[in-house]
Amino acid sequence: MIDFIVAVLRSGTPLVYVALAGMIAQRAGLWHLGLEGIMIIGCCATIIGIVLTGSYALAILIACVLCILASMLLWFVIEKLKANPIIAGLGLTGFGVGGTALAAQSIFGSQAAVTAPFGAPRLGDSFGAFASLSIFVAAMPAVVALLWVLLRRTRFGLQLAACGEHPFAARSLGIDPERIRLFALCVGGVLCAIGGAELASGSLQIFAQNMTAGRGFMGFAAVVFGAAHPVWTALAALFFSLVGAIGIRAQILFGDAVPHDLLLALPYLATVLGVWISGRLRGGAKGANGFSELRDY
Amino acid sequence: MSATLTILLRTAIFILVALALCGLIFQAAGYSALDMFASILDGAFLRKGGLSQCLRWALPLFITATGVVLSFRCGFFNIGAQGQFYMGAIAATAMASWLNGMPVAVLVPVSILSGMAGGALWALWPGILRFRWGTDEVITTLMGNFIAGLILVYVTTGPLKDPSGSGQQSSSKPLAAAYRISNSMGLSPTIIAISLVVGIGMWLLINRTAFGVLGGLAGRNPEMLRWQGARMWKFGLASFMVSGALAGLAGAIEVFGPNGRLVGGFLPTHGFTAVLIALVANLSITGTAVAALFFGGLASAALYLPIMAGLPSAAIDIINAAIALFITAKSRMIDRMFSARGKTP
Repeated sequence: MIDFIVAVLRSGTPLVYVALAGMIAQRAGLWHLGLEGIMIIGCCATIIGIVLTGSYALAILIACVLCILASMLLWFVIEKLKANPIIAGLGLTGFGVGGTALAAQSIFGSQAAVTAPFGAPRLGDSFGAFASLSIFVAAMPAVVALLWVLLRRTRFGLQLAACGEHPFAARSLGIDPERIRLFALCVGGVLCAIGGAELASGSLQIFAQNMTAGRGFMGFAAVVFGAAHPVWTALAALFFSLVGAIGIRAQILFGDAVPHDLLLALPYLATVLGVWISGRLRGGAKGANGFSELRDY
Repeated sequence: MSATLTILLRTAIFILVALALCGLIFQAAGYSALDMFASILDGAFLRKGGLSQCLRWALPLFITATGVVLSFRCGFFNIGAQGQFYMGAIAATAMASWLNGMPVAVLVPVSILSGMAGGALWALWPGILRFRWGTDEVITTLMGNFIAGLILVYVTTGPLKDPSGSGQQSSSKPLAAAYRISNSMGLSPTIIAISLVVGIGMWLLINRTAFGVLGGLAGRNPEMLRWQGARMWKFGLASFMVSGALAGLAGAIEVFGPNGRLVGGFLPTHGFTAVLIALVANLSITGTAVAALFFGGLASAALYLPIMAGLPSAAIDIINAAIALFITAKSRMIDRMFSARGKTP
């Protein structure tokens, strides 16, 4: 049982960080579909940073800076050039996936996975069964609590929500929605960098092409399922990874009776289910109403 | 200046911006951007036989993209073309292996039709979720892509596996040569004829029928159409199913044409490129034909780069993605520069 909890935490933590990044953007009024791309930049930058600098702190710093730059690019394209957020986000995702593949190949000269000599600091023996988890897992509840306080109990958090719900009203009170969205995306960039770092260096210490495999989109679905509430979003992300872990456990129990690849599809199915349930509970998602929706310019 | 010209110029400018960004990335990664672009141009259009290769990649992309155009025009973000493409390929292969031994005139059309049906069905469930319960189609169709990819892996390593197959790539049994509609070069009169029929049919559907015109209205102003009493789910479901069927058709063509069998994880960026083509074409069918040629060239360059020029093929993915990043941008500055001057509305 405790092994199972460890497995869920290990696979769920990157998802939670990425979902939190999407949650902030969602509250500020942006559909953040570039999560996947920013996350894989975080993965790649962490591993390459460890290999090149030999210091974990520096590697995380590099990952954060690159992810913030990518987020700022997305912000510029969406807010300044008025691009469609969904298409621009998908473009950024492709950009991240292709760019990291190119970077890994140009630095290490091969398409194979890149391995780092060490990974994220672990919790250590004093945590018993949880000793092999990284510090980011332990930091996760604190981050969720911090974001909850920031978004639900401060003036700034309310302003951010106002920018998402009624930007026109926010602007009439002297709040600049564009600037608040820039902040939201940059904080999201840091969270994606941490999520990517946890995915790449939390247990495996490896970067492989396309290693995020849809986790960014799953994180976005967790935002929709969790109604962009910090705690519910984190729980939704953990739920998706729980379903994935159940799939792996089922494989160990039943062997080849159930096809392996179909069990791998379980988290994606859970995501569809989650979005469907949230549509039933809250009457559908808002936002993607076509190209020429009346927007606040 | 006319509106069309403004759109053309805007598209061209943002594609140039995207290419400049790619150049920066290539330089930063330690490649020479000029070399890279020269090799891509060479691989896409200039080399010997380059144009026929470009057409080989452009035609399936064109077919999928016309479907995407329809659903985007109706205002639905069906970005699941990739999954529908895979399901079409799977359905066509399954039907072909079931009917194996039948005459060509029966097997090929029936299999290709079942491929279209497979794609349409894979587009149907996000459509139903959307119109019955308001589930957002962006996430469901995206997740559908991942699920269809896993189903493809399952099918090519399980039920449809080629038992004699060896090597790393899982695939189905090769089709008999008589059943194939083109050789491995992937260009044949049959495929060209199918693409022409699809292109003309979709142009007529969008521009010359009540469905197409009302669908375009549904995308631009759904409220108005709802007030006039039109049933949105009709346009929505029809556009989902047609675009799914066309993506499935492209998948079936890949199986019966150039590939000759179902390969696990083949053409993983087909759907995304098709979405891109539809957007670059500003959701017009004639524009889609031109844009498909451009991206078809890029797709053929993706094969050419690593083999002939020793450059990574990820370069093409980056170019596609950068174009996607900028293609929906609307710069007021550019609009002001090129839009009708003097005459105020």
